[in-house]
Amino acid sequence: MTNASAEPLLALSNVNTFYGQAQVHFDLSISVARGHIVCLLGGNASGKSTTMKIILGLVKPRSGDVTFDGASLLGLSTPQIVRRGIASVPEARRLFADMSVRENILMGAFVRNDREAVAQDLDRMLTLFPKLGQRLSQRAGSLSGGEQQMVAMARALMSRPRMIVMDEPTMGLSPLYVDRVLELIRTINQEGVSVFMVEQNASLALEIAHEAYVLQTGKIVLSGPARTLKDDPRIRDAYLGGSEAA
Amino acid sequence: MSSWLDYTINGLIVGNVYALVAVGLALIFGVSRLINFAQGSIYLVGAYIGWVAVVQLHTPLPLTIIVVAVAAAVVGLIIERFGLRPLQNSVRIAPLLATIGISFVLDQLVMLTFSPNPRALPSQLPDIRFQVGGGTIGPLDLLIAGVGLTSALLLFVFLRYTKLGWAVRATAQDRDAAMQMGVDVNRVNQAVFGIAAALGGVSGLLVGMYYNQIDTAMSLQATLKGVVAEVVGGAGNVPGAVIGSLLLGLVESYGVAMLGTSYRNLFAFLLLVVVLVLRPNGLFVSARQAPPEPLTGTFIAPSRPVHIPRWALLVAVAGFAILPLFPVSFYVLQTLINAWLLGMLALSLTLVAGTMGQVSLGHAALLAIGAYTSALLSLTLAVPVGLAVIGGGLMSAALGTLLISPSFRLRGHYVSIATLAIGEIVALVILNWESVTRGPIGISGIPPLSLFGYDLIGPTSIYWFSLAVMVVLALLQGRLLTSHLGRSFRAIRDDDIAARAYGLGLNRYKSLAFIFGGFAAGISGGIAAHLYSYINHETFNTQQSILALTVVILGGLGNVVGAILGSVALVGLPEVFRIAAEYRILIYGIVLLLLVRFRPQGLLGTV
Ligand SMILES: Nc1ncnc2c1ncn2[C@@H]1O[C@H](COP(=O)(O)OP(=O)(O)OP(=O)(O)O)[C@@H](O)[C@H]1O
Ligand SMILES: [Mg+2]
Repeated sequence: MTNASAEPLLALSNVNTFYGQAQVHFDLSISVARGHIVCLLGGNASGKSTTMKIILGLVKPRSGDVTFDGASLLGLSTPQIVRRGIASVPEARRLFADMSVRENILMGAFVRNDREAVAQDLDRMLTLFPKLGQRLSQRAGSLSGGEQQMVAMARALMSRPRMIVMDEPTMGLSPLYVDRVLELIRTINQEGVSVFMVEQNASLALEIAHEAYVLQTGKIVLSGPARTLKDDPRIRDAYLGGSEAA
Repeated sequence: MSSWLDYTINGLIVGNVYALVAVGLALIFGVSRLINFAQGSIYLVGAYIGWVAVVQLHTPLPLTIIVVAVAAAVVGLIIERFGLRPLQNSVRIAPLLATIGISFVLDQLVMLTFSPNPRALPSQLPDIRFQVGGGTIGPLDLLIAGVGLTSALLLFVFLRYTKLGWAVRATAQDRDAAMQMGVDVNRVNQAVFGIAAALGGVSGLLVGMYYNQIDTAMSLQATLKGVVAEVVGGAGNVPGAVIGSLLLGLVESYGVAMLGTSYRNLFAFLLLVVVLVLRPNGLFVSARQAPPEPLTGTFIAPSRPVHIPRWALLVAVAGFAILPLFPVSFYVLQTLINAWLLGMLALSLTLVAGTMGQVSLGHAALLAIGAYTSALLSLTLAVPVGLAVIGGGLMSAALGTLLISPSFRLRGHYVSIATLAIGEIVALVILNWESVTRGPIGISGIPPLSLFGYDLIGPTSIYWFSLAVMVVLALLQGRLLTSHLGRSFRAIRDDDIAARAYGLGLNRYKSLAFIFGGFAAGISGGIAAHLYSYINHETFNTQQSILALTVVILGGLGNVVGAILGSVALVGLPEVFRIAAEYRILIYGIVLLLLVRFRPQGLLGTV
C-alpha cells in the first residue's frame, strides 16, 4: 500500500458493508496518508458514497475497521467522529436550504466554542471564497450549484478539520467552477488538511490527487500513485465495467 | 347574542391555545418526521397537574404556569428517551404507533388517578370583561394571548440565536448533514420534545381555565386539533403552525356562529381534508420543498410470515365451530362473538393497512356506516335483516371508498391523518344529520339478526353465524392475497413509484382495496347493530379504530390468520383474566408499545 512506513491518518481495513442482504463493500482497504489528497474513483453504484458514510459513521460496516489517527472510529457516533477532526462535503452538497449562507457557514463551526476565532475564520472564508461576501444573508437554497459548492466547502473548513471528505465535489458544475473547485481543494490541502475525495471524473481527480483507488462493485480493483494511474489503460476499463481489471 | 367581533376574539383565543399544541407538533415533525399522537396526552397531563397545583396546592397563577410547563417537559423528555429513542432504527411506522400507545397509557393513567368525571379548574383571575368595540374581552383572554405571544417570542429567540436552536433548524432541514456538522441529534430531539411538551402542558392548563372544566376526553381532541392546525400550516413549519392554528380557531368560531356548537369539529376536520386534498404540504410551503414523507417501502417491518399448515387451520376452525356443543357458558360465546366481529374489522384493516400500506386510523367509521345502513334499512324500509346487513357492507364499501378517494395521492403519515379526519367527519355527520340518523338520540329497537325468516336470538346461533361470516371473508381475502391483484397491492405498498412505472394505476388498486375492506368492516358493523339493538354516534369511535390497529399489528400486518388471532387475543385474554374495563385500554396501549419495540412484525409476521 502507499505510504506503509508512516502511520496513515485514515485507514479502512478489510471493510465489509451490507444494506440488508446486499453486500456493498468486499474487504475494502484504503488509507490516506497525512497531508495527502486521496481519490476514490468508480462508476455508478460502485459503493463510493457508502465509503464516505462508513468514514463518517453514518453507516456501520459489518466487519473490518476504520481508524483515524490510530484510533478506531467504529464505536463512535457521527458527531463524535466530526469532533475528532473530520469534516465533510456531502454528495449534492446538502446545504441547509432555508438557512442563510452565513448560518450555513457558521453551522460548520458547530463543534467549536471559540467564538472570536470562529468570527475570524468566517472572514478568512470570505477571502478564500470572495463571491460569498455579497450573499451572506441570502437563503442558501437560492444559490447556484457552483455557489452552493463554495458554501459547502467553506462550511467544512469552518470546523478546522484535520481531514475533509468530499463526495463528488465537481458533480453538476460548469467547467469554470470545476477548475475553481479543484484549485481550492489543492489550496486547502496545501494548508495542511488531508483530503479524501470520491469522484467519477477520473482525469480531473487524478490531476490533483496524490494517490487513487478504483472501486468496482465494492472491490478495489486498482490503486497506486495518481501519476502512474493517470496513464493506466485499465482506468478506462474500470469505468466501462468491462474486463476484470485487477 | 354575541357579536361577530366576539366570535373573532373567541376564534383567535382558541386559535392561540391550538397554536401551543401545534407548534410543538411542528417542531417534532420538523426534526424527526413524526406526528406525535401523544401530544394531546401531555396537554391532558398539563391540565391535571394544573388542577392539582391550583385546587390542592393553591399556587399563584405564574407559579402554576411554571410548574405545569416544567412537569410537562419532564413527561416529554421521558417519552422521548424511553418511548421513542429505542425505535430510531426501526421502520418508519414504529414511532408513530409508539406515540399512539403512549397516549393510551398516559390518558388511562390520568383517568385511573383522577377518575373520568370532569373537574372544575378555576382560573384565579377576576371575572370581569372589558368592552372592545362591539365585543368584550376578559383577563383570561388576555392571559392566553399573552402566553401565546411570549411563547412565540421565546421560541423565535431560541431558534434564531442559540446554538441548540440552530441545531434544531439544521436537523429539521437535513438530519444527516446536521450530524456531519457535529450536531448530536439525540440532544436536538430531547430539546424539541421538552419544548413541545411544555407548550402542550401549558395549553392544557389554559384550556381548562378557559372552560373552567377538565376531563380525560380532552386528550384526543387536543391531538386532533393540533394535527389539523399543523397540517394546515404545513407539517414541520413552525410559523405555519401558528397561522394554521389561528385560522382553525377562526373557522371553528365562525362555523359555530353560523350553525351551532355541534358543528365546531366538523368545520375543523373539513378544513383539514380540504387542505390535505388541495395542498398536502400545507398552505405556506412552496412546491420546491421535498415531500416530508419517505416512500412507502420502509414503512412496514419486512419479515417472513410464520407458516401455518392448512390442516392446523382446519382443526382450529372446526374446534371453534363445535365449541357451542360443549357446555360452555354464555359468557364465553359472547366474548368470542365479539372477537369474530372484531376479526372482520381486523381483516378489513389488515388488507388496507398491511397489504396495501394505507395505515388507516379511522376504520371504525366503516363499522358505523355499515351499522347505520343496516339498521335503517331494516327499520324504516323493512328490508329483511340478512339483506340489510349485506346492504350495510355494500354501503360501507361504496361510501368509505368514495370518502377516502380524494386522499389517494397521500402517503405514509398523511394517509393516517386523512383517515382519522374522515372517521371523525363520519361520526360528526351522524351526530348532526338528525333527519336520517336521529342525531344524538341514536337508533333503538333495531330488529335482531335473522336469516331466511328465522330469528337468530340464542347466543349459539349468533356465534355460528358470525363465525361463518368471518371465515368466509377470511377465505375470500386469502384468495385475494395470492391472486394477481394481491401481488399488485403489495407492489404498490413496497414502492409506489416503481409500481406506477410498471403501469399499475394506483387509484384503481387503492379503490379495490378499500372496497373489499369496506365491505368486510360494513358487514361487521351491520351485524353489531342488530346484535346491540341500539347504536349512536359514539358506538363506533376512534378508540375502536386504534384497537383494530393494535390487533392487526399484533397479528402481523397483512396477515389474515394473524388478524383473527389478534382479535381473539385482545378480546379474549382480558376476559379470561377478568380485567376491569378501565384497565383494558391501558393494556392495549402497553401491548402496542411492547410490540412496536420488540416484535414489529407481529406474532405471525407481515405478509
Ligand atoms: N440506504 C441504502 N439502502 C439500501 N441500499 C443502498 C442504500 N444506499 C445505497 N444503496 C445501494 O448500495 C450501492 C452503492 O451505493 P453508493 O451510493 O455507495 O454508490 P455510489 O458509488 O456513490 O454511486 P453514485 O455514483 O450513483 O453516487 C448501490 O447499489 C445502492 O443502490
Ligand atoms: Mg454516490
